[in-house]
Amino acid sequence: MPETSEEKAKTFDPFEPFREMRDAYLDAMSKTMIENVNSEAYAKATGAMLDWSLTATVPFREAMEKAMLQAMQQLSLPSRQEVAALAERFTNLELRVDDVDAKLDRVLTLLAHTHPGPPTEQADRRERPAGQES
Amino acid sequence: MNAPESLVAELAEFEDRMHAFVQAVTTRVPIAQTPKTQVWSLNKARLYRYDANPHVKQHHRVPLLLVFAIMNRPYILDLRPGNSFVEFMVGRGYDVYLLDWGAPGYEDRNMNFEDYALQYLPRAIRKVKALSGTSEFSMLGWCIGAIITTIYAAMRPDDGLRNLLLLTAPLDFTNRDRLTFAKWTDERYFDLEKVVSAYGNMPAEMIDYGAKSLKPIENWVGNYCKLWDNLDNPRVVASWQAMNTWVTDNIPMAGAAYRQLITDFYRNNLLIQNRLHMGGERVDLGRIRANLLTVIAEGDHITPPCQSEAIMQKVSSADKQLYRIPGGHIGIMAGSTAHRTTWPHIEAWLGTRSK
Repeated sequence: MPETSEEKAKTFDPFEPFREMRDAYLDAMSKTMIENVNSEAYAKATGAMLDWSLTATVPFREAMEKAMLQAMQQLSLPSRQEVAALAERFTNLELRVDDVDAKLDRVLTLLAHTHPGPPTEQADRRERPAGQES
Repeated sequence: MNAPESLVAELAEFEDRMHAFVQAVTTRVPIAQTPKTQVWSLNKARLYRYDANPHVKQHHRVPLLLVFAIMNRPYILDLRPGNSFVEFMVGRGYDVYLLDWGAPGYEDRNMNFEDYALQYLPRAIRKVKALSGTSEFSMLGWCIGAIITTIYAAMRPDDGLRNLLLLTAPLDFTNRDRLTFAKWTDERYFDLEKVVSAYGNMPAEMIDYGAKSLKPIENWVGNYCKLWDNLDNPRVVASWQAMNTWVTDNIPMAGAAYRQLITDFYRNNLLIQNRLHMGGERVDLGRIRANLLTVIAEGDHITPPCQSEAIMQKVSSADKQLYRIPGGHIGIMAGSTAHRTTWPHIEAWLGTRSK
């Protein structure tokens, strides 16, 4: 006779005691670990490890950066700093464009108040720029 | 079935389970599927407006802007269909916007909270108001996003902010004994300048390691045990995969913002004492007049409740409410019960204040 789902559920699962033991062990370990990571000793130890790893890698990193900079110069390519500076200038330009956009919005709003009527095609386009569908 | 056959069958089943487990852990699933349109951008930041649900009348006049943290992806607010706060709010007739800060590059290492709160956010808000055609708006800040929205609300109280919702907001760092991050970044043990100058931006892996280390067993063992035990349940597996996709999609934090988070917030606790200065001005929380809903997750180990309580006494808002809910930092908004608990409460509070 086929086993019903209820009977199946009642069937003894040999792994259930192991699962219970595992969960109890994890609960206990979790509490211990949370106490540990919350301690001053842990903060001190991780701080020291991070400090040591940074100190140990600084000479290599500096040497690598210096070598890379020289290689870039030899190849007439911009350095990381120069590319970053360029990107920052682009962001500043974007900020300026956004300021102009805000002023234009204000002008259009004022115009709409002084000459009420249907919104212009240009104003509609500004609301939802084409090609910006996600 | 005799013993060897039974053993072979058991091994075959184990192999199938192991295959399903590895696939679940290593597969990224589609997330953030609520239809949206990008309406504004600045540097890496993007502002999205969610498309109105054609079957729902958009009956809330005041638009809602969602602002998440700067070191995680914001699509946790729109995780997957059926488990998406964004989908929930759009389905109830809200005009919803999401500000995605994007992932900072090396060139953004000098960005700090002033840039986020007073350069980027006001511009995004201007766009929200222009597109919605309203002078008022609501704003929901979650985690670090709540710090940014609080600073904005205090610095620009006349900008039309009608409703401010703060979720698990780390604003008060007084109770250092309860704050594990405060212990780890204590100046006696943690050389902040050395870290920031070495990396430029705080690497995503370090932030992820720090967050997971708060509950190491749950995050590195228990989480996978939960998946293993539920491999036969497609609903749980799908939910686990979506969350895992988000959890493993980390982004770095701008170096200057990280430096400020540690010094001005964790170490010196300037914001809640009204001693934080931005753009030459003091950030006075007493200038916040918007209706305020603060949501606290009682089981939050990242932002313990003590960090979000004091704001209630600092603001001038006549209409303010503190809402406590069982759950964790992320679970209260993206957990399996959020659609029955947190979301309806937020919606009910906001609904009466968005007419």
